[in-house]
Parts: sequence; structure tokens; C-alpha cells
Amino acid sequence: MLLDPDGAPWIGARDSDIALFGTPAGPQPTAAIRSRWMGKPIGAVTGVRVAAAHNGELLAFRLEWDDANHDHSAVDTTVFSDGAAVLIPVAADAPVRTMGAPGAAVNAWYWRSDDNARGHHVVAEGLGTTRSLESEPVRARGVWSGGRWRVVIARALDANTSEPIAPLRPGETTGFAVAVWEGGHEERGGIKSFSGDWRELRLAPVALARR
Amino acid sequence: MAVSKGQLAMVMDLNKCIGCQTCTIACKRLWTREEGMDYMWWNTVNTMPGRGTPRDWEQMGGGFRDAVAQPGRLPTSRDFGEAWDFNYDEVFQGGKGDKVHLKVVGEEPDWGPNWDEDQGAGEYPNSYYFYLPRICNHCTHPACLEACPRQAIVKRDEDGIVLIDEDRCRGYRFCMEACPYKKIYFNHARKVSQKCIFCFPRIEQGVANACARQCPGRVRFVGYREDQNGPIWKLVDRWKVALPLHPEYGTEPNVFYVPPLAPPRIDANGNLDESKPRIPDEYLVSLFGPKVLDSLKLLKEEMAKVRGGGKSEVLELLIAYRWKEMFGGFDRDPATIEWTKA
Repeated sequence: MLLDPDGAPWIGARDSDIALFGTPAGPQPTAAIRSRWMGKPIGAVTGVRVAAAHNGELLAFRLEWDDANHDHSAVDTTVFSDGAAVLIPVAADAPVRTMGAPGAAVNAWYWRSDDNARGHHVVAEGLGTTRSLESEPVRARGVWSGGRWRVVIARALDANTSEPIAPLRPGETTGFAVAVWEGGHEERGGIKSFSGDWRELRLAPVALARR
Repeated sequence: MAVSKGQLAMVMDLNKCIGCQTCTIACKRLWTREEGMDYMWWNTVNTMPGRGTPRDWEQMGGGFRDAVAQPGRLPTSRDFGEAWDFNYDEVFQGGKGDKVHLKVVGEEPDWGPNWDEDQGAGEYPNSYYFYLPRICNHCTHPACLEACPRQAIVKRDEDGIVLIDEDRCRGYRFCMEACPYKKIYFNHARKVSQKCIFCFPRIEQGVANACARQCPGRVRFVGYREDQNGPIWKLVDRWKVALPLHPEYGTEPNVFYVPPLAPPRIDANGNLDESKPRIPDEYLVSLFGPKVLDSLKLLKEEMAKVRGGGKSEVLELLIAYRWKEMFGGFDRDPATIEWTKA
């Protein structure tokens, strides 16, 4: 139910509108990407509505944003999939703008419209260092209707792994950040809209909906 | 810059290419028959002057100028030319006899990988064209490798072959943008970028690339760039008769071309006009750089030498009397190997 953007756990959920900004071209990880995007507009999606809920096992984020030009049918080398991700720090002091740093990892919970039924769990320790984890505790589902994407991205609160995964506990607080990729604008990789500095999320001490 | 211990390379003699596309088909049958690869032609042969494959690739940017990465743009699927479906069932099983003919099903195409074949340029009787086969150049300074934010492209230390690691590739296509030769394809089914692999599984068994070995015109020489007994070093470094395509793109390609000569022009009275070449020098310079004129001069001098009864080591090499010597030691017969798919 948590994975359904219209499911019962989301009824009456408290939404926050978060402004998104295009990533700067300067710190992009390769010279070719910098030369292609320098001086060009980055970040076609300028805002996202976010709600979060947990059921004691999964923490889920529901992201909603306007995307009038979304088109599932287009298959072209110049067309990219829409995407969204939630970033969570593993190390408390991990920098958000560089997606972590060596020794200060972040987790990205990543969804992409061409792979709609699943999520990806990514670890990064700096720009250009992302790697997908074999274990995939991230689940996601997106629904597009009426010119709007509504995507739920969820992860188990904890996972039994030696990989750097941010543990989440009811009653505690975590930082988070959000990114959205507008595929119709050739956004992918580091070319995206993002929410800036870490925002704070406090997980309710008791799961409100265990379903 | 990635510098490999040895660098495998290829020389293509444009004076011998007849545009038969046997190389193209040899590659297609071997490497690009799986899902998502329909439109891929890791080996292409285009008529020059022409718009090439993908269409107008020379105007798409990428590569380096003064060692600085230049912005590139992505070719569209239409620029590559989509794989067309034909009405085979109707023609062969439809029972309609000669009432129907083979045609493309669906939207009428307006471009394809060899759309402007044999058009060329110039006015009769001085029209001209030649064929330009192209594969990935396995560059010494690969723009694709440097553009990838995920280090998904490697240049092999042992032989300089440039490969995409499909497990690391996320399908971002920054490599496609950056490659100034536009020789990287995107697999929409597998969502990864793919390209010519210089037939590395054959090379590792001592077998030359399929495009080279299958070529009926003996156009393609294969071997290590540094091997002074092999054909590449002799043609590129000793005789300086083979040149990279668009050296100004700054990637240091490892495919080299022997530039095309052409018959003399014919003047208004029907006489030979040797005052200027049929293929304009400036056009060849635009493709191969100013050294192309030295290469053409050498070829003409060597041909004159042979006409006068002399011997020419470089022409004997280019004629390729001894087929196996074209392959720089990679002359094992693939039929002697039991191949299995990993």
C-alpha cells in the first residue's frame, strides 16, 4: 500500500513543496559534460511536492511534480527517461552538493521511468563515484497522469549488509535531499534538478500504518 | 591520457575499397544481431563526399581542440537510420505473384545508413566519389572514455582496444556526445551504449578482425602500431602513406587511411586535363589534414617508378600479394577454432 502513490497510507499525508535548482555545470565530473552544459539551462523541473511515511519496515517518499511533455512511446537516442531520487547521508557530515566525499558516503534511492517497477540503491562518495548495490532494498513505483508524475520511492529502514547504508530508526532524524531528471531535456547523471542543502526528516516514533 | 603498452591499429587503403559492404555484413552477422541492435552498424561504408552515417556526423562536435573537450551533440535515431521492416510475408507468401513488390512497411523513410550511396560530387565528366569505411578508431586519446562520468569505458593496457563495460554503463550517452566520429550506438533494449570491439575475442585467438579478413578487396591491414615488421608501422610511420581521419578532432585515432587517387579530369574538348586533380586537394585536406598531399605525391611517385620498370616496396605492400601478411601476425584461420559464446 505504501508503494501506491494513491494508497491509504498517503491519505492526509503532510506534503511539503520543495524548490529545485539545476545542478551547476562547473563541478560536473568530466570536461565533455562541462563543455556541453556550460551556459545552458539545467534543471527543467523547478519544484517537487514531497511527503514521507514509514510503516516500521519501509520508509517511503512520495514525490510529485508537473511534467506535461512526458512521453512513454518515444524511443530515440536523444530521448532520456525521467527519473527521481532521494539522497540520504550515511555519514552525518557527508556533503550533499558533491554527493558525499571519500569516506563520507551517501545513499541514493533512485527511480527511472523506463524501469518503473523497481528502484535502485546507490552508494556514492563524491561526484562520479556512484555504484549500484547488489542488494536492492529500494522499491519504487511511478504513476503519470494529468500532466503530473507521482512517484513513491521506499527503502527498508535497515538492511543486513556490510555496504555503507544509512540506518534509519523510528523516532530519529535523518537528512534528505531530492533530485529530479527531466528526460525530455536530456537530463541524466549529474545533469538534474536538486533540492540543495540537507533537509531534516523526523521519523515518527510509532509506525502509523503497518500494512 | 591512457597510454597502452601496445596499440592495435588498422590501415584501410581507400584506393581498393569497392563499397561492397562485405565488411559491414561480416560485422553485422558476428556482433550486432541481438535485441536492440537492429539499427547498429559498427562498421559502415559511406560514399564521400557525402553526409555519412549518422547523417552529418562531421558537424556534430565532440573531441578536443587544443586538448580541450568540445561540446558535442547526440545523433538522433533518424540520423543513424532506423532498421526498416519490409513486407516479406506479402511478397513471398501472400500469393499475389508479381502484383506486389518489396517495400518498407510503415512510414516512408527519408534517410538510411547508406542513403547517398554513389552520389558523390562534381559535374560530369569530372564527377568523383570514393568509399570511406569506418569503425571505432580505438583512439589513443579517446573522447568517449574521458566523457564518461562512471569510468565505464576502458582502454585495454595490453592492446589499446577501447571497450565499454556494460555493467558499469548507465546509458547516459555522454560518450556518444563526446565521440567526434559518432561511432557509438545506444541499445534501447539493454539501455547501454555499444560500439565496435575491434573483434577482441578473435584478436585474442590470433584471428584478424572479421571486417578485415572478409574484405574481398584486401583493403584492411591489421596489427600493432609499434611492430616494425608489421604492415601498420610500415604504412603509417615508415612510408607515411596512411593518415588518420580528421586528425584535428584531437583524439589520435588508430585507424589510418591511404588516401584516394582518381583518374585525370577531362576538359571541354575531351582531352585529359592534369592541371588539377579530379578529387579537389582541399577536400582531401579537410578529411585527412595537410599531410595528405605528401601521401598522394608519394603514391604517384611510386606508381611512376613501377611503370618505369622499377620496384616499389610500398606498392607491393599495398597491393597485398601475400594476403596473410596484411594481418600483422593475426592470421590464424577462425575455422580452426571451436567458438563458444560466454
